[in-house]
Amino acid sequence: MIKRIIARLDIKNNFLVKGMHLEGLRILGYPELFSKKYFDEGIDEIIFQDVVASLYKRNQLSHLTSKISENVFVPITVGGGIRNIKDIKEILVSGADRVSINTGAIHNKNFVEEAVKIFGASTICISIETLKINDSYKIYTDSGRTEINKDTFDWIKEVQDLGVGEIILTSINNEGTGRGFDINLYEKASKISSIPLLAHGGTKTPDNVYEVFSKANVDGVIIASAFHFNYYKELLDKKEIPLTGSTNFLKDKNTHSLSFKIKKLKEYLRLKNIEIR
Amino acid sequence: MKKPLAGIINISTNNILSIKRALEFIGFNTVLINEHVPIEKFDLIVLPGVGAFNEAMNTLNRKNLLKTIDQALNKNKKFLGICLGMQLLFQESNEFIKTKGIGFFNGNVENFKSFPIYKKTFIGWNKVNFSKKFFKNAEQYYLLQNKAYYFVHSFFVNCTNKNIEFGNSVNGRLTYASVVKKDNVTAFQFHPEKSGKHGLNLLKTIANNI
Repeated sequence: MIKRIIARLDIKNNFLVKGMHLEGLRILGYPELFSKKYFDEGIDEIIFQDVVASLYKRNQLSHLTSKISENVFVPITVGGGIRNIKDIKEILVSGADRVSINTGAIHNKNFVEEAVKIFGASTICISIETLKINDSYKIYTDSGRTEINKDTFDWIKEVQDLGVGEIILTSINNEGTGRGFDINLYEKASKISSIPLLAHGGTKTPDNVYEVFSKANVDGVIIASAFHFNYYKELLDKKEIPLTGSTNFLKDKNTHSLSFKIKKLKEYLRLKNIEIR
Repeated sequence: MKKPLAGIINISTNNILSIKRALEFIGFNTVLINEHVPIEKFDLIVLPGVGAFNEAMNTLNRKNLLKTIDQALNKNKKFLGICLGMQLLFQESNEFIKTKGIGFFNGNVENFKSFPIYKKTFIGWNKVNFSKKFFKNAEQYYLLQNKAYYFVHSFFVNCTNKNIEFGNSVNGRLTYASVVKKDNVTAFQFHPEKSGKHGLNLLKTIANNI
């Protein structure tokens, strides 16, 4: 089975942003430039997430999706603030192939079942944000802001029963930290998951990606900072980044050592005998 | 030079924009075909499709689009079926309810789950083993053969006529036709419009070769 390397772009007010533990967002630039670059470099898939949509109960991604899908000819998943069938339709018509639902699924399971019936399982993806406290994994909504008193593994089983096509599992503890993947979380989750499972949160090196592929049966990894910080420098040199955000953090040595190219990652995984496109 | 014109048959299922944009990217003008129209002006007719077989056949019937498709298939018009658009060209499917297809190709559409497969719904990249005769020259063959393309499906065509099979793919222990071709008609189970640069090159090849 060919493993998927997926880039995730967090969007706020039409800008690409990145935070840590899903918080402390900074503006990195225009998402359409990053996504085109990622396509050119051989990314397998792109995920766009409106990180404040759910919190402010709005959904502005369809215009951006339409712009992005002009230049990106790999699958596009869009998430953030999706609450009803109309939201999904709007995003699919704008050029997305799949939608990811988090908050909307927790508040209304019937909505998810209906969406699967109308659009097909492969179009509906559930995004789960989990925070490890002591030894238990609890799920969160609104980009890690609101705790839901529910066990992550129970919820994984529940959403599979709803008939969805795929699960994105984000570790809030590791997200944006470059600590590597929470292997224990993905080992446990992949054992109970009969549908594709995507790991997100913590990539620092190509070896982190190899580790999660070799130790847990995940179908793909989702990478944000490690790609953004690498290509940010390149796009910055070309003056394609609006200088509205704070960029001092990029001069930080730790941040620099966090980044690598898509091609470099794929070469590394191939050498390690992971089947990759 | 005038751009060639592709007509995209609109079954109003999911993402029709992707195929439109991919065709425009490789140099076509595109028109969505929403009801029966004369096909003379088109250089290529595309039947894309995501969704359920019976719903799609109902829509084609209701909008009188079967007539358009029939004319394209029989008037030697370049024709490309994609995903469900490939399956619809076969004789019959059991998805939800037994439904007759267009029947241009011999064979039925079957569910993965009754076969020794790895995933009952396949979402992701998979290799396509093309036969050499699919391409006009060796260069195209070596560029596009055995590369990964993007698939999303739970059903596949059980192709009874091996002469029309021009490429296959593997799911678990099942090998199935992922490329079929007869005369002016080509069809892919995967999505060339979502298969990165190789997918776009493949679309170009077809557009030029047809």
